[in-house]
Amino acid sequence: MTQVLEARAGRITGEMEAVASAEGLTPEFIRAGVASGKIVIPKNKGRKITSLCGIGEGLRIKVNALIGTSSDRDLILDEEKKLAVAEAAGCDSVMDLSTGGDIDGMRRQTLARAGVPVGSVPIYQAAVNALEKRGAMVNMTDQDMFDAIEKQAAGGIDFMAIHCALNFDVIRRLQARGRVTDVVSRGGAFLTGWMLHNNRENPLYHQFDRLLEILKKYDVTLSLGDAIRPGSTADSLDGAQLQGLIVAGELVARAHAAGVQVMVEGPGHVPMHHVESTMLLQKRLCDGAPYFILGTLATDVAPGYDHITSAIGGAIAGAAGADFLCYVTPAEHLGLPTSDDVRDGVMAARIAAHAADLARGRRGAWEKDMKMARARVSGDAAAQAESSVDPRVWENHRPGGDGKCAVCGDGCAARIAAKYFGIT
Amino acid sequence: MTLMEKARRGEITREMEEVALAEGVSLEFIQNGVAGGTVVIPRSTARARIKPTGIGSGLRTKVSASVGLYGGDASIPVEKLKIEAAAGAGTDAIMDLSVSGDIDSMRREALSMFTGPVGTLPLYQALAEAGEKYRSSAQMKVEELFSVMERQAADGVDFLALHCGTTMDIVERAKKDGRVDPLVSYGGSHLIGWMIYNQCENPLYTHYDRVLEIARKYDVTVSLADGMRPGCLADSLDGPQVQELVVLGELVRRAREAGVQVMVKGPGHVPLNHLKATVTLQKSLCGGAPYFVFGPVVTDIAAGYDHISAAIGGAVCSWAGAEFLCYVTAPEHLGLPSAEQVREGVIASRIAAHAGDLARGLPGAAQWDLELSKARKVLDWDRQIALSIDPERAACIKRDRSGDNSEGCAMCGKYCAMKVVAEYLGTARQTC
Repeated sequence: MTQVLEARAGRITGEMEAVASAEGLTPEFIRAGVASGKIVIPKNKGRKITSLCGIGEGLRIKVNALIGTSSDRDLILDEEKKLAVAEAAGCDSVMDLSTGGDIDGMRRQTLARAGVPVGSVPIYQAAVNALEKRGAMVNMTDQDMFDAIEKQAAGGIDFMAIHCALNFDVIRRLQARGRVTDVVSRGGAFLTGWMLHNNRENPLYHQFDRLLEILKKYDVTLSLGDAIRPGSTADSLDGAQLQGLIVAGELVARAHAAGVQVMVEGPGHVPMHHVESTMLLQKRLCDGAPYFILGTLATDVAPGYDHITSAIGGAIAGAAGADFLCYVTPAEHLGLPTSDDVRDGVMAARIAAHAADLARGRRGAWEKDMKMARARVSGDAAAQAESSVDPRVWENHRPGGDGKCAVCGDGCAARIAAKYFGIT
Repeated sequence: MTLMEKARRGEITREMEEVALAEGVSLEFIQNGVAGGTVVIPRSTARARIKPTGIGSGLRTKVSASVGLYGGDASIPVEKLKIEAAAGAGTDAIMDLSVSGDIDSMRREALSMFTGPVGTLPLYQALAEAGEKYRSSAQMKVEELFSVMERQAADGVDFLALHCGTTMDIVERAKKDGRVDPLVSYGGSHLIGWMIYNQCENPLYTHYDRVLEIARKYDVTVSLADGMRPGCLADSLDGPQVQELVVLGELVRRAREAGVQVMVKGPGHVPLNHLKATVTLQKSLCGGAPYFVFGPVVTDIAAGYDHISAAIGGAVCSWAGAEFLCYVTAPEHLGLPSAEQVREGVIASRIAAHAGDLARGLPGAAQWDLELSKARKVLDWDRQIALSIDPERAACIKRDRSGDNSEGCAMCGKYCAMKVVAEYLGTARQTC
């Protein structure tokens, strides 16, 4: 039985208990959320996870980090380090997006080392294998795609991004209106190319039930990949994107009916004034399924700083209802991130998620900030370090200057003010 | 005659022309904005020709970087490097917030090396000099404060930050209401201590006409600073903050009556869901005067990453109508920034400003994004980098994380989505 079927049968699993305790909520709240599809707990049947992660309505906003090799950089030792860095920085889950070198070995390494849920995009491996074995990505067979999915599910992957919501309706919308940056999702691009070349409907859409069977067997959470996410602010909320979201909504209902946990992936590059509408549309069209968003990036013009453009968009999106933020690193649009980029990316996304939790009035979030505020007023550096999003920044901390007004001594006006307010 | 008076008489000055040209708006728009006080162009008549910068409604959101001598280790050459870094990163304005050392020389250096508007906070120097003279900043004489103000204005400072609205009434309210962090602003804290020690109302409030006289004489723009800016999320939009804003609104009106350009300084630490209300209140209470916001940071716990926290708050404020963002650097709450951190702070703030301009539909703002995205689509790396907000950083990361030979980038390697799709949609030729 899958988590969602257990929940619907009224049973509270150990996973639900663990999530309830981490969130400070009742197990019944979590069970009801899983049963209704508003909460997912990604966990493969065959996997042990030390830090389970509940994602969805009423829960702390979670942060996902991306690691993985590419054809240009395929050292799995580097990626092992990035996983450790991402976990130390406080990510709630990680996705292995490898497309280069030993993809199977890389995935096994990630699954073995990660204490958090692990996601993947199986179409990458299927496409890369097709290129090697069949000479071209477009020669990939339906069987290749489903084999890759089954292999990765059997290996223990907890959630999979699969671009099922891409069909010819969506592509026709894209062709009819045109776009500045067309398709920027890698999986979406492979499938668009495959569909146009073979003149065949997307098997992941067309044979969606076959996919659901595999996912159900291993209790893998489906993350509906957004093949048509906007790659530039100019493309945000266009017909193609919305068509994709409508299709996703239909597939959410089918996954749910089949007893498979499902969330929906989304944007991309979105100007700030589109963010709230984007969240509302997703929640409405996808019946409250958890929303997993990339960024959102509030402008296109800041390569080298896209962790910052994403923190802006992610915070607003979180406040408007997004449940799960996929980090973006400073290397986005420019190359494969280093370990430092990974850490900066996780921190920026965590700040965005926390700012959104505060805006939503989440009690635990406000307690953290209040603790920090009090530590700051009393000048307690150790307590400030403890309350910080990244305590390590305090390690070599040396207060700049002698802001204590050494010239004045007790005659310092600020000290007089402090006494007045009862701060010593 | 001040710039504001000229604008009211229908005169269009060189400053207004240059601002109109830079912003791509009509001369009348600028003239009306300056006349009505919704646009300011901070520039002192005592200063040699500078690049006039318009701040206000309907204009591109501007960014200010703060530098200055602070504590025994500070040095003018180091602060000059920070000014260079800020200017190189594209800051629109500089504030010299020196609180110790040779403050006069530091200010003069800043005025001579930066081509845009320069602001100061005269209370700092007055406190420092009183500290030297009396061994107690609380002993500062009112006359000395005004003499420093005049000295700084005469040097050609373009805008003066002054805590004119921090009245005794508001200080008492902060105590009564149990503000979590009543001593946030350096100037505000000292001023409050001075008021308590001397049992005397804030002289910048009681002698506000004198402030305006000095401002008129050199046509300096007044930046009304807030002593009650929230220093933690829990204090945001509390009684003292809002009451001070009410007072500042009254002072805005008096400055305008005197023909003095005026803007209002604000937040601080503000939760995301308070930002729009904060900007709306300021606009309503201060008659549409330009809003100069510090950050705001949207959480208290992001020490070491406060430039990111501030970019979130700044972007939403700019979208909501704040026109001028004071940067926050990564080590805010930890220590003083290095030149590199100054540079990052300016870029983070510029990203916020631009995201805000894009969201509020400022004409022309979307064009930049469109051009860069088109270059991205055709994999034109030279153009992508040239159009980046920080081309030097973008080029460096591209080189380091991808190498020079890659057609796409190392993130996707040979599986670049742009390339794959272009092949089948026939939409764009890939070039390299």
